[in-house]
Amino acid sequence: MDSIQRLVRTWVASGRQEEIQETVGAISAGSASLLDVVKALGEYLTAEEDELRNKGVDFLSLVIAACPSDKINRQSVLVQFMCGKLEDTETVIPALKGLNSLVVQPALTSPDAVDVVKALFMHVKMRALVQSQRFIVYSIIDSLVAKHREALKTMGNEFITGYVSLAEGEKDPRNLLVAFAIARVLLIEFDVKHYIEQLFNITFCYFPITFRPPPDDPYGITTEDLKKALRECLDATPAFGPLAIPLFLEKLTAGSPVTKRDTLQTLDVCLPVYGSLVAKENARKLWNTLKLEIFQPTDPETESMALHTTQVLVQTIYGGPTGAAQDQEIEGLAKDACEDCLKILKEPEKSQAKPATKVLCAFVSTTPSVSKFTLNQAVPHLIKLFLNPDEIQNRAPTLRLLADLIHAARQSPLQDSATPPALLPYKDEVLGVLTVGLTNVSSSLNALDGLNGMVTTDNLLFDDELGFVVHNVNELFTKDVTEHSEDVSDAILSLLASVSAIAPRHVSETTLPLLFTSLPDIAPPRTAESERLKYWTTLSFLKRLCIQPDLFEMLVIRLSTKLDLICVPSGTTLQDVPDPEPVAAYAHSILRTLADAVAKKVELDHPDVPKYVDRLLPCLFNLHMYSALVSNGDYLVATDPRLVSVSAEIVTLVLQTAAAQKQEQFIKSLFAAYLDGLPQAVTEGHHKFPEDAVFSPLASDASTLQKNLILLFSAALVALHKEVALPVPEEGLFLDKLLQWSVNQADNKLQNEASEHAISSVLNKRVEEAFLTNKLESNWLARATDTGLALPIRRRVILAWAWMTKALQVRSHPSAQRFTDRLVELFNDSDIGWDAARAIGQVVSTDKVLTKRNHAVIKFLYAQKFSNVMLPRIIEGAKSAGEPRLQNAYLVALTSLIKSVPKSAYLHQMSSLMPLLLRGLDLPDSEIRANVIDTLLAVADPTAKSSSNIVSEHASSLVATMLKNCMVREMPSVRVRVIALRYLAVLPSLVKYDVLHPQKAMVLRELAKTLDDPKRSVRKEAVEARTNWYKYSG
Amino acid sequence: MEVFNPNPTVFAPTKSHRVAQFAKPHSLWLNDADSDQEGEYEDESNEVEAIDQDEIFELIRSISDPEHRSMSLEQLAVVSAPQITFDLKFPDRVTVEFTPTVPHCGMSTFIGLSIRVRLLRSLPERYKIDIKVKPGSHQSEHALNKQLNDKERVAAALENPALLEVLEQCLSTASLNA
Repeated sequence: MDSIQRLVRTWVASGRQEEIQETVGAISAGSASLLDVVKALGEYLTAEEDELRNKGVDFLSLVIAACPSDKINRQSVLVQFMCGKLEDTETVIPALKGLNSLVVQPALTSPDAVDVVKALFMHVKMRALVQSQRFIVYSIIDSLVAKHREALKTMGNEFITGYVSLAEGEKDPRNLLVAFAIARVLLIEFDVKHYIEQLFNITFCYFPITFRPPPDDPYGITTEDLKKALRECLDATPAFGPLAIPLFLEKLTAGSPVTKRDTLQTLDVCLPVYGSLVAKENARKLWNTLKLEIFQPTDPETESMALHTTQVLVQTIYGGPTGAAQDQEIEGLAKDACEDCLKILKEPEKSQAKPATKVLCAFVSTTPSVSKFTLNQAVPHLIKLFLNPDEIQNRAPTLRLLADLIHAARQSPLQDSATPPALLPYKDEVLGVLTVGLTNVSSSLNALDGLNGMVTTDNLLFDDELGFVVHNVNELFTKDVTEHSEDVSDAILSLLASVSAIAPRHVSETTLPLLFTSLPDIAPPRTAESERLKYWTTLSFLKRLCIQPDLFEMLVIRLSTKLDLICVPSGTTLQDVPDPEPVAAYAHSILRTLADAVAKKVELDHPDVPKYVDRLLPCLFNLHMYSALVSNGDYLVATDPRLVSVSAEIVTLVLQTAAAQKQEQFIKSLFAAYLDGLPQAVTEGHHKFPEDAVFSPLASDASTLQKNLILLFSAALVALHKEVALPVPEEGLFLDKLLQWSVNQADNKLQNEASEHAISSVLNKRVEEAFLTNKLESNWLARATDTGLALPIRRRVILAWAWMTKALQVRSHPSAQRFTDRLVELFNDSDIGWDAARAIGQVVSTDKVLTKRNHAVIKFLYAQKFSNVMLPRIIEGAKSAGEPRLQNAYLVALTSLIKSVPKSAYLHQMSSLMPLLLRGLDLPDSEIRANVIDTLLAVADPTAKSSSNIVSEHASSLVATMLKNCMVREMPSVRVRVIALRYLAVLPSLVKYDVLHPQKAMVLRELAKTLDDPKRSVRKEAVEARTNWYKYSG
Repeated sequence: MEVFNPNPTVFAPTKSHRVAQFAKPHSLWLNDADSDQEGEYEDESNEVEAIDQDEIFELIRSISDPEHRSMSLEQLAVVSAPQITFDLKFPDRVTVEFTPTVPHCGMSTFIGLSIRVRLLRSLPERYKIDIKVKPGSHQSEHALNKQLNDKERVAAALENPALLEVLEQCLSTASLNA
């Protein structure tokens, strides 16, 4: 007891937390009780001095707050005591705190709860309290409403009126969140029928919420939180309806777009609660207001919300138990609105027809009866319109509207597999007008869209009707296919794709043969441009249609046969063909089609791709090898490297999907063909190789045509799983041989690159340590500095090294860094320094060889790791390397590296990078400049403050250098001019107006010159940039 | 604000003229799918591609109609490619004709002005542009044509900040296509 007294005295003097804790500790331990505390406080609680009384109550409240529940006895006494202290203005605040702790105690009795509330209503003057104190009052009431609801209900009117006057005028968002929660309970659970107006006043006065959270708001209350809490009050009782609707209407007519949207969303939740009677009474007024938002929309978002609210309104009116009856006569709003819209639809070509259709489409997703009524009105109307000879010029817009309705009916949530499709009664007529619409160029797009909607509606069309649709679409192919615009082609394809998903038979039996036969057997001559466009169009149809396994098989068979026929025509020799290039281009297009279709299937993980290792690849090898063997240097179509490249693509795509075992088998034959001179091993097909022909592409005396076939060899190697061993005695020796061949024997860039790809891929998957050590220790790269060698050979050495480094870097091999270091050592070479510098970027650039699909070993974030090591070194080098030549080489390395890594890898370094990048823009190399500008564009993010600051710092120099780079007089590269203009176009969004304001007039004047650029693509960007600078203002 | 034509006829826009989707111009060869990214820049020759009717149409087709902001001048058939003509003798002289949706359209001056401003900003200075309403399509055709081709009156109009603001809004959609 004494100790408590001592604690109290100390606390009154110090106000420290320790004394409170000690007191609570004593109570918890049972060595003192709350009663002791009250006794100890005695003199303070009754002191004359205001401050002492305040402190006395405060101490007690703090102790209660910290006390464990089971130690708080004599609740009622404490509650009565605290209530009493509410009367004293000096002790109100600590007493509220005390009550706040007491009301959550489980032992609080109902009479106590009522007493607390009464005391609050009687003594607490909300206007005299600050926000945090009012918050305590709301918290007390909230706790009581939660725990002693029944007791409070018995207070009846007293509680409601008391609370209303307490809560009136509250403005603080944190308090409002609690107040709204309390109001919702009152509205739902208490008998409030006589107080609706008062409660309406203390809730609806906050609508719409316009609160903007201050920056760094400690409570983190958002506008959305408040909106949500308020909405839960507004839709708490149907009794609000008659009062609320006029208010909502007013906000809808007069409000800002934000208010309108808030009101619409609130109506969406309120209308169903207010009920059909209120909705019906106000239907006209609501519809007239909503109509305005739909027919003269402020913005698309508000428009779609207004449509949704219209749906809610209709559902509220007709969705009740009485509206559920399907065949009930539709009266009132739905009928009137429908009629309104149909009146507008008498002129389908006019602008108002579109929103009218949107309304009808919205009705289709409301209630079954309204949906049925709407379709029953609208569909026959549109069909009649279509068939009316006076309206023939309006058929296209009519079908547009019809197609919209078809889609709406299909997507309607009322539609499920159990109910027959809503469109069923009109199926025949609709199908009829749509197929008529197909035949006309202007309406075919809409007709196709409508048909697609019908085809994709479940249970709507029978199989023979699908056949009928396909038949009618096929008719379009009999006309000139090149006449179709891109849109129509897309629509045809998407319709046929929808049909093939349900019934592929119709497409494979009728459409495909039609397309295949329209492909010519002989390539059209050079001048026959329209013929060429025709086969391109046909092929593009085929490649997009034939993805489904059965259809794809058909594609492979038909196209590979066609390919053989074109490349090796029977009866004629190529000498008879005066101009073989169109032939090669045709064959190339066919191969391209196959490659694109395979690529699509690989992307979709189709399981039927691997079987084409046996079915397609041997034919391709056969064709190319045969042509290379019989040519004797003459031009044969299939020896064209452009064709070989596409075939190589197909080889990689198909082989990468095969299992390791299958690959092993294939690769064995492949090596037999390429290394042992047994070309038959990997081929299959009807071209018989001449008896005496020798196939040895890797021999030093091989013809260029044979050497070109290394592309196919490499294409297979890069697709292998890492477990697949190469069928050679020693892989290291093989790699070495390939490397020598690549540097010294390859005749052209294609061969050179192909062999590098193979080396890199093998090295990545099957690291040959001995090979690596040998290359590092002998410093194989050093031959790049050998001035005795031809420059192209020296460059090849660097390229080969870069590919090897890449193979290692991608899998984070420990030797990778040493490989990179060797490249850096070459920076100072006067001939190949820049090549070595560019190679740094190549090491981590994305490529099509070392990919997951090709089973490469790729470590997570390897590019970031690389740039974390290299970027600081390169930045340092570019800043401080001794000679300008070396500095520039570092700059080149920087631009190439930055271009290759994701921007997150360097974004944090932007402030030190910017000056270097600006220097890079002065280097006399358009590719480097393009890299720099691409990088600047990549980091140009108007929303990121930090990067904008850096741009602002350098804004004037950026403007000056970009203007230089976009003038045709100074910059011959189209690409650089285009992206320099693009950068100028984004600058106004990155930099505050006051920074660049002095330059505006000059920039506009200079940009005027770029409007006269010889290239259209540059002019387009110039217009964009100049427009943005015109709009640029403070 | 008086509404001159509350429910105008809407026309389907034509596609932006079909870019060679298969091959580069005058090529026998189909484009490689993987060269798509660089394809844009492949033509590095600075061979002159003259500004033509389509290119000028491209500049004005997407300007918003002042009365129906959600629709473009093209959709309302106010402008069209054939209505842009080059003077045969002086290739830098261009006439742009437009068709108001109704003959009493009070917005016609504004539409003409927006076309004028867009072209002033986007065509090289050497061009001389005449803007006219289609003969017989407007009740005060003569006055309108005179007003639109009077430099000083155009300049004066552009000094009216309220007018300029609406103009910028109508022009803001002009470069959104492509």
